[in-house]
Amino acid sequence: MILAQNVTKYFGRFQALKDVSFEIKKGEIVGFLGRNGAGKTTLMRILTSYLPASSGKVVIGGDDVEKNSLAIRKKIGYLPETPPLYSNMTVSDYLKFAAEIKDVPARGRRNRINEVLEECNIGEVRDKTIGVLSRGYKQRVGIAQAIINKPELLILDEPTSGLDPIQNLQIRKLIKSLEYERTVILSTHILSEIEQIAHRVLIIRSGQIIVDKSLDMLLKDYSDDQCAESTLEEVFVKLHSETSEENNE
Amino acid sequence: MNKVFAIAKKELTAYFKSPIAYIVLILTISVFNVFFYMIIDQNREASLRDVFKVMEFMFVFLIPLLTMKIFSEEKLTGTIEFLMTSPITNTAIVLGKYLGSLIFFTLIIIMTVTYYFIIEYFGQPDRASILTGFLGIWLEGSFFLAIGILTSSWTRNQIIAAISSYAILFLLYFSISFTNSLSGPMEAVIRYAGTWSHLGNFTVGLITIADVVYYLSGIIFCLILTRFGIENRLWR
Repeated sequence: MILAQNVTKYFGRFQALKDVSFEIKKGEIVGFLGRNGAGKTTLMRILTSYLPASSGKVVIGGDDVEKNSLAIRKKIGYLPETPPLYSNMTVSDYLKFAAEIKDVPARGRRNRINEVLEECNIGEVRDKTIGVLSRGYKQRVGIAQAIINKPELLILDEPTSGLDPIQNLQIRKLIKSLEYERTVILSTHILSEIEQIAHRVLIIRSGQIIVDKSLDMLLKDYSDDQCAESTLEEVFVKLHSETSEENNE
Repeated sequence: MNKVFAIAKKELTAYFKSPIAYIVLILTISVFNVFFYMIIDQNREASLRDVFKVMEFMFVFLIPLLTMKIFSEEKLTGTIEFLMTSPITNTAIVLGKYLGSLIFFTLIIIMTVTYYFIIEYFGQPDRASILTGFLGIWLEGSFFLAIGILTSSWTRNQIIAAISSYAILFLLYFSISFTNSLSGPMEAVIRYAGTWSHLGNFTVGLITIADVVYYLSGIIFCLILTRFGIENRLWR
């Protein structure tokens, strides 16, 4: 589904991504992990064709991101870190607009809007202006626009940020329900969330992928001698403390 | 094409949900009404020629207020990321936004058509020159809108977008003043680049190819620059 080869990105002289390569199969749920500024959002923006890579190549479903960005945009649903919402629109007007520009057929548009309102549990605020909604609602409206065109690939940058535990659970269930049907890439700082939904994790540090493993394999590799399985959080901290020590040396 | 209309509709709805649109509408029509009364009262002739000149002057100040948020607000709030990752071409985004603002501007022009009926009631105006005058002021406003959209695509700050528009519009509007101290081809270029003489022709009933080309090429040039501007922003 996704093939990234030696993707490098410079912002001026700052190198945000260094030779990033990976492959993601159709139906996989992959978590991008990393500290703030590690390069997760930059990588996601390159995958969505919003930003160009300085060098390297990304192919999604057979289409090159740089050469055929319009074809790529038809395949993806994207939730940026800050939900891209028009604060003066009502929720249903916004979703109608999203459906129109995302090629949802006019005939089934109303039904599809009702479906996503229900899936994201935002039906009760459908006639409210987005600007007055709480952060949790805004986040879910952002997710609703990302899934409205039933994309083959869903890219979610911190999808559960700002949600309460119940809403968090609902969104996790929603993402899990797409398993094997669609490919999902998500980044989050809540590591327990990744443990519950992702098949595989890519850990990015200073613009480089330092771990690309299935979750089971990763947890196994970092288990201690007494066979007590580590949590992802422990692995994450361990990986980053190893680096700090290396840097100090 | 449907997506162009979807964007235009969104833009138009955004105008009517923002206080700026109503302020601009009320301010424009009120000021136009006052000047219309003063000009007719002073000139005592059934012509809108001077009214068009005043409208042109007012649009130099008002149109940047209409266009300043078109792209800059999308950049500030991050919604540009939503548009740019949706299956819609950058050309359609620019055209949709331009169309939305053009419809709003056309509404303002339509509201001033009442001036024609008033002078028609009291006198015998030259209908052709009034019609061409309305066409001229509409074309000029459309050109100003394209300039405003271009400057709005340069920044995420609405104030900077408006000031950049003012700088360009003032240059175009007041360029006629520079021609006094110039001569030869330079004077001809500056005279052609300025808006003054072009609208002047329309208001006396003249439609020349040079004037129409001036406005249309200006609009297309600005929209193409906007389209490549948003592209360049991405491909930095």
